[in-house]
Amino acid sequence: MIRFNDVNKWFGANHVLKDINLHIQPGEAVVICGPSGSGKSTLIRCINQLEPIQKGEIFVDNIQVNKRATNLTRLRSQIGFVFQQFNLYPHLSVLENVVLSPIKVKKIARREAEENARELLERVGIPDKADDYPSQLSGGQCQRVAIARGLAMNPKVMLFDEPTSALDPEMIKEVLDVMVELAVEGMTMIVVTHEMGFAREVAHRVFFMDEGQIVESNAPDAFFDHPAHERTKAFLSKIITHN
Amino acid sequence: MYAFYFKSLIHSLPLFFKGLWITILVSGISLVAGTVLGIICGIFRTVKRWGLSRIMGAYADYMRGVPFLVHIFIIYFILPEVGIQLEPFPAAAIALTIYAGAYISEIVAAGILSVPRGQREAATAYGLNAFQQMRHIVFPQAFKVILPPLVGEYVLLIKDSSIVSVIGLTDVTRVGWLTVQRIPEGIMVFGLVGILYFVICYPLIHLSHILEKKVSYDAQ
Ligand SMILES: Nc1ncnc2c1ncn2[C@@H]1O[C@H](COP(=O)(O)OP(=O)(O)OP(=O)(O)O)[C@@H](O)[C@H]1O
Ligand SMILES: [Mg+2]
Repeated sequence: MIRFNDVNKWFGANHVLKDINLHIQPGEAVVICGPSGSGKSTLIRCINQLEPIQKGEIFVDNIQVNKRATNLTRLRSQIGFVFQQFNLYPHLSVLENVVLSPIKVKKIARREAEENARELLERVGIPDKADDYPSQLSGGQCQRVAIARGLAMNPKVMLFDEPTSALDPEMIKEVLDVMVELAVEGMTMIVVTHEMGFAREVAHRVFFMDEGQIVESNAPDAFFDHPAHERTKAFLSKIITHN
Repeated sequence: MYAFYFKSLIHSLPLFFKGLWITILVSGISLVAGTVLGIICGIFRTVKRWGLSRIMGAYADYMRGVPFLVHIFIIYFILPEVGIQLEPFPAAAIALTIYAGAYISEIVAAGILSVPRGQREAATAYGLNAFQQMRHIVFPQAFKVILPPLVGEYVLLIKDSSIVSVIGLTDVTRVGWLTVQRIPEGIMVFGLVGILYFVICYPLIHLSHILEKKVSYDAQ
């Protein structure tokens, strides 16, 4: 479903992604962890071309995304993206947040889009908030709206960039529960997170990134219980004592 | 004597209203045209391509760095030398438009840049093209920031329009100059001119205050 071939990216002189190779199957849930600045966000932002790459190839569903000829609008309408800071549109109601792109980008009729949006809000557990504005919601509710906004495009892949790290502890679970359910239903997803419980419960593989490289990747239990690399061990010992 | 002058001033009132109408007309037209120009240039100002941002910056800096009186002289007295002869009214309207447009472009650009980057990112990630992003996401949010200083700019525009009297446009200021030659009571005559400006500017000033309060309230 997603394939990276020798992907390299620089920000100026800063070499941020170094020879990344990966292949993610349809229905797979992958967790990426690693220290701050290691390139996790950059990696997933390259998939929908929020960031361009300078070398290598990225394929989504067998379509090469880093080519001039690629229809980026179509590509992006197949990829849901959930941001750490939610990035909901504050001037639009929850319902409008969810239906905007289906109507404007996918040209779905408003009635159908709204019906679908209400179903999705129900699914993420906030059916009664459709007419509220983002500023009236808690962080956890905002992030669930953001997930509904992503799902509204009926995407083939969902990308999450630290979806719970801006949340108060008591709201993390409500967001993770929604994500677990998605993974169980077979959504292809890449999640940047340090939530090890989530990784153990639903991830098929966990990647550890450091200094622009994928240092190690393994099934979650093996990854957490028997990390192979020193850098992975050092990192895990930090987040375990931290938690 | 005072009473006599006052009486003749009352008799001249229709002239003042005619002048006021010219003031309203010339500033109203420039206000609308300058807003359109300012929005377009303000959007270009935030585009990091084709050198647009720099061209717009140069335009704004030039307009803001040179007194309005000089602009109107250039348009009315210098352009005829290269074969462009304008009547006072269009000359005044054009000068005010490009002058206000420069200030408004700065206000609009600042408003657009005040919208957090994440908003554009989300809109990009969800497939909206550049125009749709501007129309549905960026501009509605920038608008709240733009509106109070924009209304303030309108007040300045109306007051600056008094300068167009130098090229012979009979706005309310020029009516004052003409009248004071017949009624040599400067305080009385220009007091009236001042009151007339105030009457049209004050509602805008008030509106600007209300909008400012509303925006800072919304931000909480
Ligand atoms: N827009 C940008 N311009 C320049 N450099 C950037 C930009 N975004 C990220 N970087 C740099 O790229 C590197 C990787 O950043 P990235 O945000 O991908 O890391 P991360 O692993 O997501 O970190 P964090 O856990 O803090 O979110 C860092 O050195 C960062 O400073
Ligand atoms: Mg990050």
